[in-house]
Amino acid sequence: MADETPDTPDTPDASADDAVTDASAVAVEEVPAIDPAVAALFERFEAALGDGVVDHADSFGTLVVRVKPDAWKRAAEVARADLDCDYLSFISGIDWMPAPKPAGDEGGDTSAPVQPDTMTFGVTGSDGRLQVFAHVQSTTRHWGVTIKTDVADPAPTVDSWVSVYPGADWHERECWEMYGVDFSGHPKIRHLYLPGEFEGNPLRKDFALLAREVKPWPGLVDVEPMPGDDTEEGDS
Amino acid sequence: MTSTETPGFEVDPALYSNLAGSQVNVELDTGDMILNLGPQHPATHGTLRLVVRLDGERVVAADPVIGYMHRGYEKLSEFRTYPQITTLINRIDWLSSFANEVPFVHGAEQLMGIEAPPRAQWIRTILTELSRIATIYLFLGEMGLQVGALTPAFWGFRDRELVLNLIESATGGRFHPNFNRIGGLKDDLPWGWIAECRTTMDKILRGCDDFEDVLVGNEIFEARTRGIGIIPGELGAAYGVSGANLRASGIDWDLRRDGKPYLAYPELDFKVWTHSDGDSFARYWVRLQETREAVRMVIQLLDGLPAGPIMAKVPRIIKVPEGEVWVETENPLGQMGYYIVSKGATGPFRVKIRSASFSNVSILPWLLRGVYVPDVITIMGSLYFILGDIDR
Amino acid sequence: MGLVEKGVFGKKPLKPVTWLLNYSRKYSLWMFQWGLACCAIEMGAALASPRYDMMRLGVIPFPASPRQADLVVISGTVTDKMAPAIKRLYEQMPDPKYVISMGSCANCGGPYWDSYSVTKGVDQVIPVDIYIPGCPPRPEALLEAIVMLQERIQNEGLGNDELAQRWRGEHVVVDNAYMAARV
Repeated sequence: MADETPDTPDTPDASADDAVTDASAVAVEEVPAIDPAVAALFERFEAALGDGVVDHADSFGTLVVRVKPDAWKRAAEVARADLDCDYLSFISGIDWMPAPKPAGDEGGDTSAPVQPDTMTFGVTGSDGRLQVFAHVQSTTRHWGVTIKTDVADPAPTVDSWVSVYPGADWHERECWEMYGVDFSGHPKIRHLYLPGEFEGNPLRKDFALLAREVKPWPGLVDVEPMPGDDTEEGDS
Repeated sequence: MTSTETPGFEVDPALYSNLAGSQVNVELDTGDMILNLGPQHPATHGTLRLVVRLDGERVVAADPVIGYMHRGYEKLSEFRTYPQITTLINRIDWLSSFANEVPFVHGAEQLMGIEAPPRAQWIRTILTELSRIATIYLFLGEMGLQVGALTPAFWGFRDRELVLNLIESATGGRFHPNFNRIGGLKDDLPWGWIAECRTTMDKILRGCDDFEDVLVGNEIFEARTRGIGIIPGELGAAYGVSGANLRASGIDWDLRRDGKPYLAYPELDFKVWTHSDGDSFARYWVRLQETREAVRMVIQLLDGLPAGPIMAKVPRIIKVPEGEVWVETENPLGQMGYYIVSKGATGPFRVKIRSASFSNVSILPWLLRGVYVPDVITIMGSLYFILGDIDR
Repeated sequence: MGLVEKGVFGKKPLKPVTWLLNYSRKYSLWMFQWGLACCAIEMGAALASPRYDMMRLGVIPFPASPRQADLVVISGTVTDKMAPAIKRLYEQMPDPKYVISMGSCANCGGPYWDSYSVTKGVDQVIPVDIYIPGCPPRPEALLEAIVMLQERIQNEGLGNDELAQRWRGEHVVVDNAYMAARV
């Protein structure tokens, strides 16, 4: 896996999106190459982890590495031992499934932003819908790395980081609660935020917000048209 | 209520036997008692519920039960546009609302490839530091309250009003300014604000001296805080403890200086204060110095405030190109970060909010083992968390 | 209090008696502060900061327990996890009791109107006397709410008046079902 080429963030398709002005579109295309410091950091990471690495990218100066699911815990050990990343920032999950379509004229949720309905997987890609990602940092070397891994969609399971970073305890409980990802090796996984009788995994994309289903956004009832209706630019 | 949720204690048997062995007189062995603090208790600064298992006066195990203030920011962010989200994230850490907006707006600006003009950056820095003062000032007063001194709490509220007045006169909101726009700020500073700010900063400095005179060196205060609740630096970092809590454990790490450059901090001359003890006192002391440092920074910023526009040219409709970005800032309570994933729409696809207090508090089960009940309150007070920042 | 509940000879108490009673009640409101979120800080500012100084209005904060409180201020976001605790503490307060709902979240859910974990209004859990709008309301708004509540207390009738219902409260029958709901 050493021959992975640096992956840049996907540039937006400006033609499909006439509302995005050229000013913002041009500026994003200016980050084609991977930052040398990030590349050097990735070399250290890859040298220690070996073939556990699947993909990597430089996302605005932060190294993002995607590792194989069975190398997830080893990635934490490598980050801690070889990259001096002694500080755990967070562990969380992401659901790449397209958001449910907002309702149209017939009612329902009309205010939420419309997301594209194709499934894309961010800067380092993904095999499936669910991913777990974490960010660790070094308090001495002042760098940080975001580590991602794929988890299976039904019955997602991944190794726990608690033995490497004790602070992973609560983060993994949160991730379990929000995404239903199980962490094998976690001392006791249980609800963190929500009451015990709560059903569902709120941060999954198919978890609908009931309040939005049953009534339209109150702010839309009697206000002037949204600024989206005219496309001219202003600086307000 | 949530009695089904009452945590099962995973008491480490080794620890427990040690405690039992330390009792000289076995006949005086007290049975374990479970004490429930909260969810609504004045000493918990909100709605933290803390279930502690006591052996006599000593804590055997402690388990914070959080989530009484969980409002689902990360889910709600997926249903809102970028300008709407700044309104929402104001309320995460409600004492330093302005500082919450900055990393999010900064992340969106990075994704869009625009940069706020220098004057906007400097004013943002001023307001961030002011909200830092407003936040920590409350702590400086409340810490006195935790050890039984009522007067500092009144001072804290009194002088904090001055800072809130400044924030209000500049932004229009005492608490939740919502003053940041993607690409700049809503407005420039009002006329006469700078002079007013200087006067207030003098008062704040004097107030810091008052706190120092009354508390630091006070026999009761030191007895209650010195050597209590020691966090080893390495362990604190592994738990994700950040901000002044980590710097009080001797780890010299401040994102304003060491992180990716943001706002006007690279151009400022400031000292990052650390303390080697890692106890409650060190946390108080570091925060006290940080308040003074923030005052110094505000004065520097006022001196060098550049002229110019306060808003970059941004499209009328904020559509953020596809990409993902991690932004982090040094907030009054510690590291605040947003991992923003955008798919090119008017709203983000996913926002992971990394809030400081969540990790700061997650060390409590470790930290409270073996301490005495009255120290539980001072330790929690010295960690200084905001419930909205824990539960999000 | 027989005078209040039954009146004098089945009639309302004399007006001066009512006036005196209400007058003394309204200036010794023991306030239980249920600080939940941002509004709690503003409530704290109203209580503890010398600038607002709520005690001059005859409000006494920090009662030892809700059983000694006349007034509860719900300030902040009420979540579904918190709502049972609010209900339980409200039930412990002696009649007559008053509730002030402070801030948009406590009124209707506020910015979290569509959240999966927020109770959309504390009035779904307990009855509310005064709503304070704002996010968060300024401390002055809380002071005004107190003054409004005091006016209301001053004008409360006794005896068989409808407002005296509040004095009687709800009769609680403690049986097995009651206990089962509270375990």
